[in-house]
Amino acid sequence: MREKSQPSRREWLSFIITAIILFFLQPILPSKMMAAEILIMALPTLAFILLLGYTGQLNFGTGSLFAVGAYTAGILLSRYNVHVLVAIVAGVVITCIVASVMGFFCIRQGGLIFALLTLAFNQIIWFVIFQWRSLTNGADGIWGIKRTFIDFGLFSIDIRPSFNFYILVLIFFLLTFFFVKRLIESPFGKVLQGMRDSELRATAIGFNIVTYKWVAFVISGMICGLGGALFALHQEYVGEHLASWVTGGEIVIMGLLGGTFVLQGAVIGSGVFIFLSDLLNRFKFLAMGGGWLFILGGVFIVVVMFFKGGIYGGAEGIYQRLKGKILIFWASDKI
Amino acid sequence: MISLSLAGLLSQIFNGIQFGVLVALLATGLSLIFGMLGIINFAHGSLYMLGAYLVWSVVQVLDIPGKFWFGLVFSFIFMGFVGFIIEKFLLRRMYGQPVVYMILITFGLLLVIQQGVGMIYGTNPLPLGIPPLFRGEVSLGLFKYPLYYLITMCLGLIVIFAVWFFIERSTWGAIIRACAEDPETASTLGIKTVNVYTLTFALGAALAGLGGGLHAPMIGGLQHTIGGLIILVCFIVVVVGGMGSIRGALLAGIIIGIIRGLAGLFWAPASEIVMFIAMGIILGFRPQGLLGKKIIT
Repeated sequence: MREKSQPSRREWLSFIITAIILFFLQPILPSKMMAAEILIMALPTLAFILLLGYTGQLNFGTGSLFAVGAYTAGILLSRYNVHVLVAIVAGVVITCIVASVMGFFCIRQGGLIFALLTLAFNQIIWFVIFQWRSLTNGADGIWGIKRTFIDFGLFSIDIRPSFNFYILVLIFFLLTFFFVKRLIESPFGKVLQGMRDSELRATAIGFNIVTYKWVAFVISGMICGLGGALFALHQEYVGEHLASWVTGGEIVIMGLLGGTFVLQGAVIGSGVFIFLSDLLNRFKFLAMGGGWLFILGGVFIVVVMFFKGGIYGGAEGIYQRLKGKILIFWASDKI
Repeated sequence: MISLSLAGLLSQIFNGIQFGVLVALLATGLSLIFGMLGIINFAHGSLYMLGAYLVWSVVQVLDIPGKFWFGLVFSFIFMGFVGFIIEKFLLRRMYGQPVVYMILITFGLLLVIQQGVGMIYGTNPLPLGIPPLFRGEVSLGLFKYPLYYLITMCLGLIVIFAVWFFIERSTWGAIIRACAEDPETASTLGIKTVNVYTLTFALGAALAGLGGGLHAPMIGGLQHTIGGLIILVCFIVVVVGGMGSIRGALLAGIIIGIIRGLAGLFWAPASEIVMFIAMGIILGFRPQGLLGKKIIT
């Protein structure tokens, strides 16, 4: 079986439609920076969904990889004044290296142990970031990251205005999104899904499941790193709290809220999470004791219990039911 | 500057054992729940935290001698009830579905309990002193050791032994083990497996509450985030000891506690990270943990 290597017309169409929809995310939200944050946080969520939905592994360590990307880009931008794109690429490359080491140890164990090992690695990375003061400033974090110009030689683009920055994030997000989309439809992605359903069968067919899992883990890590690098530009500050397991937990919530078995769930999940947390934080009594997380935790439990497919899955279910009803109605009318 | 003395070393080892026993108390509950439901309970740390806050509340409200111990018993019973509610109304609906969802529910519970306590009690640290009768130190030959630490250590060991005895030697324990091993056969023999699940979860939660209450006076000030710090150590202990093994949890708790204590002697920040490295090394040689059964995949 040989898959086609060029995107079909249908895929181009969906690319353009997604781009248009996401473009109009920024006028409808309270601020353009919030829209940019949603797309940035959608990147690690996408990475999480890639692992949970398509290989069946629950990764609690996305936060640390996100932080590695953020710190790499942040340090390069604030201290060495490098080109913005170089900083982003460096963030992805360093995260790739860290994720390869982390993945090497984690993927050998399935299910529960995998989740705990990623959590353990998350803490180790947090510890290194927290203690390596000469490089990371420890608890102070990296200040003075400047979002300025992207210099292309002949011309340069100013990414200080939030609209321009949003477009930059949008481009990166769309490229990643369609890369992942094509990845899971490729033979490689099919092997991953086969492994998720039955590891034994995949091994029996002759696939080296350890390598496949490892590659999937590293790809997912690189996406986290990209998100982190963009986050450093967005916040113009990087702190050690990014590497704590709370960030990883938030990404888990975003993934589950949106829906773990579709990639679109990443944007929906991070959008709902960030919008809700912003909204809930406006109430004083909720912002004080971290009550917004209390409500989000409750919403999360309800989603996990009753809407396995998350918001996307729930909406799709309703749509399918309505479509069925309309069809029946239409057909009965004809008869 | 490291000044090593035998007394300092010994007292650090004692600290390690004491911490290990307390963690093992929590890990026993975690291990029980794992053996029965096959899940890792992320909310266990929050239950521990809630237990500590309950003891604090009882100590504030009551004004009788021995109010701390009364609070401890109250915390044990009340947390058992909380565990009962959680299993009955949340987890029970998830049986038969992928384990990932049950883990995620416990993760949601973690947020709800932790932030709920943060909203009710505020985020400022609440100090809870050591009960007056047990202040002071006892002399153990080479060094002096706080009496309360010694008491909690003994109490923790007694409770862990009692749980072990209950599970391994009593008739009820036999029923619990039967349900963990083969729920279908157990139910054909007339055992209501669902009720056994509830009981086990409630017992695990009660142990978490007891551990939290015992630990509370040793923490400088109670905060709603203390659960997050201890739960990672518990996970390490459960994994290293072997999932579902009580003796393994105790052994691993003491080993990890001593390693942590000794590492703290050389470089204080390292004490948190050495545990993870120890876990990595032990799992590298024995993936099923120290006393765990071989994992069949």
